[in-house]
Amino acid sequence: MEFLSKIPVMDRDALRELKKGIDYSFKNFSREYGDAIEGFFDPLLSFLIFLEKLLVNTPWPIVIGIFGILAWIGSRNYKLVIGTIACFIVIGYFGMWKNCMATVAIISVSTLVCIVVGIPIGIIMSKSSRAEKAILPVLDMMQTIPSFVYLIPIIMLLGIGKVPGLLAVCIYALPPVVRLTNLGIREVDKETLEAAEAFGATPMQKLRSVQIPLSLPTIFAGINQTIMMALAMVVIASMIGVRGLGVPILQAISNQYLALGLMNGLAIVALAIIFDRVTQEYGNRIQRHRGITKK
Amino acid sequence: MKIIKKIVLSSLAVLGFTLFTGVANAACGKITIANMNWASANLMAEVDKIILEEGYGCEVELVPGATMPTFTSMQEKGEPDVAPEFWANAAIVALNKAVDEGKMHSVNKAPITGLGEGWWVLPATLEKHPELTTADAILKRPDLFPHPEDPSKGGFHICPPGWNCELSNRNHFRGWDMEAKGWAIVETGSAAGLDGSIAKAAERGENWFGYYWSPTALIGKYNMQAVDMGEWAGKENWDGCMVLPEQECANPKKTSWTKSEVYTVTTDNFKKTAGKEGMKYLENRTYPGPVMNGMLVWMGENQAEGADAAIEFLKTQESVWTKWVSGAAAKKIKKAL
Repeated sequence: MEFLSKIPVMDRDALRELKKGIDYSFKNFSREYGDAIEGFFDPLLSFLIFLEKLLVNTPWPIVIGIFGILAWIGSRNYKLVIGTIACFIVIGYFGMWKNCMATVAIISVSTLVCIVVGIPIGIIMSKSSRAEKAILPVLDMMQTIPSFVYLIPIIMLLGIGKVPGLLAVCIYALPPVVRLTNLGIREVDKETLEAAEAFGATPMQKLRSVQIPLSLPTIFAGINQTIMMALAMVVIASMIGVRGLGVPILQAISNQYLALGLMNGLAIVALAIIFDRVTQEYGNRIQRHRGITKK
Repeated sequence: MKIIKKIVLSSLAVLGFTLFTGVANAACGKITIANMNWASANLMAEVDKIILEEGYGCEVELVPGATMPTFTSMQEKGEPDVAPEFWANAAIVALNKAVDEGKMHSVNKAPITGLGEGWWVLPATLEKHPELTTADAILKRPDLFPHPEDPSKGGFHICPPGWNCELSNRNHFRGWDMEAKGWAIVETGSAAGLDGSIAKAAERGENWFGYYWSPTALIGKYNMQAVDMGEWAGKENWDGCMVLPEQECANPKKTSWTKSEVYTVTTDNFKKTAGKEGMKYLENRTYPGPVMNGMLVWMGENQAEGADAAIEFLKTQESVWTKWVSGAAAKKIKKAL
């Protein structure tokens, strides 16, 4: 009866040895390859530092002007442009400019990394059902595993700072763009594809001129989600030494500074809304242009 | 008369007997010890429990504690009786007042040696550069401690955002004129980030320079060495500047860290219950820093609780603790293990 009332437990010492063994082999791995991996990410680090310095050192009216122009290019909506400019002026007025620029820098670079890595993976998944089966559980894990768990190995491997922060953000923010690229390409109308084939299109031509253009709106929805999730990671990234709006939030948490936390939290929300609206409008626009939506 | 004499004598005898047994029991009664929520204090509470129970016949109960709540409770309600590792900086005024009134006693003003906050480096760094024992010497060599984001500067690891020591480290950064000397602050983000940066540097044989405190498992595990920060620039500089936000501290001066006052405090009740013997034990009970850090490492590696660690300590560090107790008590404790 004891078997039924008590779940079989691994021997305590054996369990400890197992844990120690895993820790030990990871430490060896990081000692062996850590420097090489760090070196691999060096260009990314320089780019991040360059972008942050550029954003912080350029006179603020120019930066805000550029954001306004980008918002216009994306949305063609003057209300959104005015809103963007107002938001950034308010953020600056409350003394959050430098942190905000640091956050913009890391969010833009991580979104870029996610797009560059995620879209090809999505395309591979859409082409091969076997690849899809293999990659889907990995994506599930990336989205659900508590971020504190992978922060430990990332710190051991890369230390603290921008690159490990970027990696932590990307692990969480990558899945939507992969999933929606896959979905978008798989949803392209079969008859359209047959027509392309009838004209003698090679698989590459099919992909570039038919499937990707037709699935762009869906891919854009994925990019939009990726940006939103990257912004959600700002505070976590700050916990491993990334400068930005997350740092004052951490200060606020440990000292119960309500106003400080609220102001910086709202600044993140403002960034999120701007990014969201602009990319969404852009997605809608390319859809309209291709005459898919009946708006 | 004879009967009366008998009664008187026997009652005297009974009285004497009860008095005698009363004395024997009064050697120690019921006491409570605060079991603080960090590893070193946890270990000390468990060790005190075993020694006072086995060696001095007390009846000890451990109650959970944290610095300020425990202090308030000791002051107001006289319970728990002992706080083995009490970081007094936060409550020094109130504590001194209670001591003056005789409500509380600061029995031991250094329960652990070599304890405190400050700047630390890894031993491998000192092996290669033995001259880097002082802060002045280290600050001259930013090239040895490259900042992860800008290798042309030295990286100075400070406290995570929101901790009190974050402010004092930022003021130290200005007080020591570190920017002009080629240094930049490394943001550590969280306790895990700070610990991780040390662990990573130690495992890879890199140099590390920054803030930490002892007694901690990390100091013991990597045998980190405290940096000599030189002269203490006075209370006014510290309390009126170093601990305040940057904008309220215009002219920080370079200084060593403020001394962390860590005491073993007891209530007056403990003095009465445990008597001279018990007080003497607490007075003598000083853990050498390396021994304590070593125990913390052992606890971390074996994922042990304070109670397991206390037994391990009593078994392996006999030369340390037998000096704290009388010969008779030591024998009883050894027998009980």
